[in-house]
Amino acid sequence: MNSPACLFKRFLFVLLVILLIGLPNSMKAQKVPVSFDEFHGFSGTEQYLKKVAKAYPDITELRTIGESTMGRPLYVLIVTNRQTGVTIDRFVPLQNERKENVENVLPMPNHLGKSGQWICASTHGNEYTGTEVCLYIIDKLITAYGSDESITDLIDNQSFYICPMVNPDGVYSSVEKGIPQRQNSMLKDNDEDGKVNEDGPEDINKDGVITWFRYKDEKGRYVLDDEDPRVMVRIGRSEKTKKERWSMILEGIDNDKDGKTNEDGEAGFDLNRNFPEGWFTADGYQGGTGDYPTSAPETRALAEFFTNHKNIHQAQFFHTSGGFTYRPMGSSGDDSMHPADIAVYDYILGKKFLEILDIEVPKAWQYPDSLATYKKELAKESKNKYALKRGYEMPRTWKVSYNEQQNKGYGYGLQADWAYMQQGVFSVTTELFNYRTDLPGHKFEGKDAYRDYQRAALKYQEDNFDGKLFKEWENFKHPTLGDGEIGGWLPQYGSNNPFPGEPLLDICEKHWQFEIFRAGLMPRVEVVSATGKVLEKVGKYQIVEVTAKVKNSGELATHLGNGAKISMNRQDVIWLIGPRDRLTFLQGAAWQKVGVLGGNAKIPTQSKGKNSAEVKWIVKIRGNTPIKVVLTSQKGGTVVEEVDIK
Amino acid sequence: MIICLVMGSISDVQAQKKLQNSPGGYHGELDFPISWNRYYSYVEWTQLMKDIAKKYPQLASVESIGKSRMGRDQYLITITNKKTGTHDTKTAMWVDGAVHGNEVNGITCSLYLMWYLLTRFDYDPYVYELVNNSTFYILPGLNVDANASFVEYPNTGNNPREPYRPEDNDGDGLYDEDQTEDVDGDGELSSMYIEDPKGSLMLSEDGRRFVSVSEENYPGMRFKRIGSEGFDNDGDGRINEDDIGGPDPNRNYPYGWNMASGNPYPMSEDCTRNAYEFHLAHPNIFATFHYHNTGRLIMFQVPQPVKSTRPQQTQAAGQYAFRQGRGMTAAERLEQMRKTNKYAQYFDRQVPREFSHDMAVQTNIVTMGARILKNYRPTMGGLSGQTAASTYNMLGAYSYLIELWGSPTYDIDVDNDGRGSQDEYMDWIDIEMTGEGWINPHKFDHPDLGEIWIGGSAKKHMSRTPPDRYIQSEADRNAKFVMYCASQFPKVEVSDIDVTSLGDDLYWVDVTVKNDQTYPTASDRSKKLKLYDQDVLRFKASKNISLIKLDAKLPIQDPFTSSGGFGGFGGGFGRGGSSAMKAGTGDEIKLWVNGKDKQVYRYLVKKSGGKGWIEMDLSSVRGGKTSKKIEL
Repeated sequence: MNSPACLFKRFLFVLLVILLIGLPNSMKAQKVPVSFDEFHGFSGTEQYLKKVAKAYPDITELRTIGESTMGRPLYVLIVTNRQTGVTIDRFVPLQNERKENVENVLPMPNHLGKSGQWICASTHGNEYTGTEVCLYIIDKLITAYGSDESITDLIDNQSFYICPMVNPDGVYSSVEKGIPQRQNSMLKDNDEDGKVNEDGPEDINKDGVITWFRYKDEKGRYVLDDEDPRVMVRIGRSEKTKKERWSMILEGIDNDKDGKTNEDGEAGFDLNRNFPEGWFTADGYQGGTGDYPTSAPETRALAEFFTNHKNIHQAQFFHTSGGFTYRPMGSSGDDSMHPADIAVYDYILGKKFLEILDIEVPKAWQYPDSLATYKKELAKESKNKYALKRGYEMPRTWKVSYNEQQNKGYGYGLQADWAYMQQGVFSVTTELFNYRTDLPGHKFEGKDAYRDYQRAALKYQEDNFDGKLFKEWENFKHPTLGDGEIGGWLPQYGSNNPFPGEPLLDICEKHWQFEIFRAGLMPRVEVVSATGKVLEKVGKYQIVEVTAKVKNSGELATHLGNGAKISMNRQDVIWLIGPRDRLTFLQGAAWQKVGVLGGNAKIPTQSKGKNSAEVKWIVKIRGNTPIKVVLTSQKGGTVVEEVDIK
Repeated sequence: MIICLVMGSISDVQAQKKLQNSPGGYHGELDFPISWNRYYSYVEWTQLMKDIAKKYPQLASVESIGKSRMGRDQYLITITNKKTGTHDTKTAMWVDGAVHGNEVNGITCSLYLMWYLLTRFDYDPYVYELVNNSTFYILPGLNVDANASFVEYPNTGNNPREPYRPEDNDGDGLYDEDQTEDVDGDGELSSMYIEDPKGSLMLSEDGRRFVSVSEENYPGMRFKRIGSEGFDNDGDGRINEDDIGGPDPNRNYPYGWNMASGNPYPMSEDCTRNAYEFHLAHPNIFATFHYHNTGRLIMFQVPQPVKSTRPQQTQAAGQYAFRQGRGMTAAERLEQMRKTNKYAQYFDRQVPREFSHDMAVQTNIVTMGARILKNYRPTMGGLSGQTAASTYNMLGAYSYLIELWGSPTYDIDVDNDGRGSQDEYMDWIDIEMTGEGWINPHKFDHPDLGEIWIGGSAKKHMSRTPPDRYIQSEADRNAKFVMYCASQFPKVEVSDIDVTSLGDDLYWVDVTVKNDQTYPTASDRSKKLKLYDQDVLRFKASKNISLIKLDAKLPIQDPFTSSGGFGGFGGGFGRGGSSAMKAGTGDEIKLWVNGKDKQVYRYLVKKSGGKGWIEMDLSSVRGGKTSKKIEL
């Protein structure tokens, strides 16, 4: 069978194999290598983002959307094909404008004309696992562009807004300085002694790192583990024990001699309580953090970015830890949400999230047709009115932070609540990393799970990091707290973030899968056809009936349940555009509302919204002047089509 | 500051240089002449502030509190006598104007207050005392971008009103794309009319205005009104439908904020945020004024009402004291209140007892405001993200929103029927406006509409902001009200120390603490917010005098006064005195001193040996420090 044809076939086959395996490998070679063997921190993340923006100018743009208290930039990497995408403003020429010439409206960039997905992390500075997931997502996107068809399509037709560090000061303190800092940084005087941030932790034994100081204290909240006394086991205040109680603080002294140690460091307040949704208590007092909602520069930067990027349709706020996702709401119950949104959250997003994490999906989500049965069953065992209405309790891995049993808010001024309620965005807060399951080869259960994890983690860092992540406890005489020991975990490790390397990579991969799944759900509007039928010719003019058929080819509708009603949001709109001295509208205004175009995904419990619309005009056109239609949806993109006049 | 006054040491400060006691004498108005018969551009009025601060460097400083969206500085002038203490040590009044860009009358009123305080300081003892004892933070124009535009460009009375955040008002996908324009280029925006056989308007006989068609079969030319002057910029068939500007800045503050009117988020605008941040950084601000146009209103912030009230359990409301109002129905209480206050119906609100003094204070202050401002009507202010709602509810300051001026009905209603007819309006134009502010209808070829007519009132300074000749009278009365409020800032005093011998070297020492001012040392709201430390009354004595501590909970058995026991209900004014005697429980007592409050503390002391002395120190964060000493 060595006929030339056969040889040629074999040649083609080899070529195909090379194309499939060999060539892509060389073409896909990462222009900006990234490794997850160590946390990037603020500096590493900043460097990586800058390199990516330089190496991939066609599909990325690095924006600074604000500045932290300590002057660190808040970066957003926009990942999208910068050549594709249109916006409405460039098609509508304005005439006889006011002579004041106020330049407050800037031309819209291309990416605003495409459906947007916001992914951010490290709102809490010590929860930097999410920053790594962001970098992983960036790497996956940019390296797959041009080779993976579906990802290429997403980058061409959608916009990713990735903000790896909402709280760069907190990340810098937590990773670079090794001082865990959940809050943002603020210049403040906690102890009102007239000095600002004068008493934070420091490296008192001069071993080059800040670790912990532990000392015996009858009011202490720890005891030492019998099996491995390096491990500190938490104990309740009133819990009885025969063992000696210990206290543990970050390494530090009483710098300002006020009798307190580490009481006035850089930490400001919790940014995830500084958003405008549910910030006040019911009786009109401060519930959230800060002097007022969005008082922190970081919060304001996000609020401003969302305000100016109304195309954002999905949002992820990565936190740690727990290995689950909070979907809204936290400050109010499910009754404050549109039922259609709850259905999308649980049946579509939640189901997929559980599948990716290999966790059992509630029966009601698997077989929504039998929801009535599940409701009846639930009525026997549950008093949770929200669950009874839904037909299922929220699973532990996909839940609301609102306390449904006690009808109590989880907190005030939460970011995901705000993004959902005030921006009309499918927002979620994923708490990355579950110590019970995410240490390779281990599962920890029961009430001693955390102690067992600590024992295993110590072993893990000995095997994988030569024991460099844990300092052996050494005696130390503290100037004010007396005898004790310095040592323990380097604060970056062994706590609420996974170990770098395999455990971190595993988390990155799972949550990349979830985010890319969500990217595939976005609305995407299309002009199916735009045609003109000449009704009459009058002198130099034609009377034309223009018909535009439009649709949403995406999975989800162009707005959330109440999305179009939210202030600053609008319905999808279609313009008919031509030179004003040559096009006269006889019937139908220059732009018309087409409502909210429904999506194509089948959403259990919800009737399918109309995903298409037809719009007509009767116009007078001079000669053969070309005209076009522009369909513009805030969250579903903007597209333009020439009208085919026959 | 207040200390100086109370200690009777004002002479230490400086004697007033050019004291003028005659109401017919010269009060300094030409020391720094400013014309109050016109509006000023941003550049002009900020220059006025800088120049006057240069003229009175010992009394005034100008600073920028930040930049607006379009990069203009927001200039604030701080007025206080620097020799009597720095501005931040004194109880302060905040005044801002024109948060709504078009309401520039607030700028002139703010500037007038500034000018009045500075030029009269050397002449007028009332002003002298105010500027010595308190601080005035005056931000004449808050929304500087829109302020500048309103004065310098042709506008209607309603625009530009908001900060220049781009907004898509009509939902067409474009931002601020169809603004107002001066179509005929005469420098004013008036109305556009078009001939329409079905229209309801016709030209008046004198051809000066459009009036309703008089007879059904009117044969002449008919018109309809199109709206304010403007072009169809975006070609969508509508005119002026997406004017410049974003959220209402007076719905952009945090308290009671909602997305629909205050979007996109609280304090989203640079101009509002800068002002609020300044307030946060200056906790000495005790009361605030916010100038708006139009309507002649005193909108004052009061506590929220009690949720449900049963008539038989009414608590203190308004000026009417808790005890006196007890057992009355709401109607009876109001009737009672009206006997002493003709404005009582404007203050008829029942508030929780813990806020009753705020209600009483505001009733008292605003009643006086109505008297000073004459035809202004008091009305309770709302929440919904308004500036004053946040300054009161979040910062604890007594807040007042003034809607300056109003339609000229007051001046033009010749037949006294309570409204101004079109004829009366035209008479007003001819007589009091001497013909200004009116544009006779004239034809114009509009690029979008063809032949139209343009005419009517020149809107900018004829509706929203008063015409030039009303500026000074409006500003003068309003300055008086602000100064009245500042004159009522709390001032604590230890007025009496009375000693009664009980024999055996034992003495009752009755210490009277008072505040004759209307304002308390802290508002009820600021107490709830825990903004200030409590006032402290300290007992000091010579070594031979010792204090026997009394129990705060037990009534004092006093053979010398028939009405022993304790007083001190919250609420209205005018109680106290011996019946409200409290026990001197220790050498340091924490207390709050209300407005027009008098409290007596009875201490039990033991003296051994010869002469001794007792000194009572009273220290209040906002009410000042004072002390009194006696020999025993």
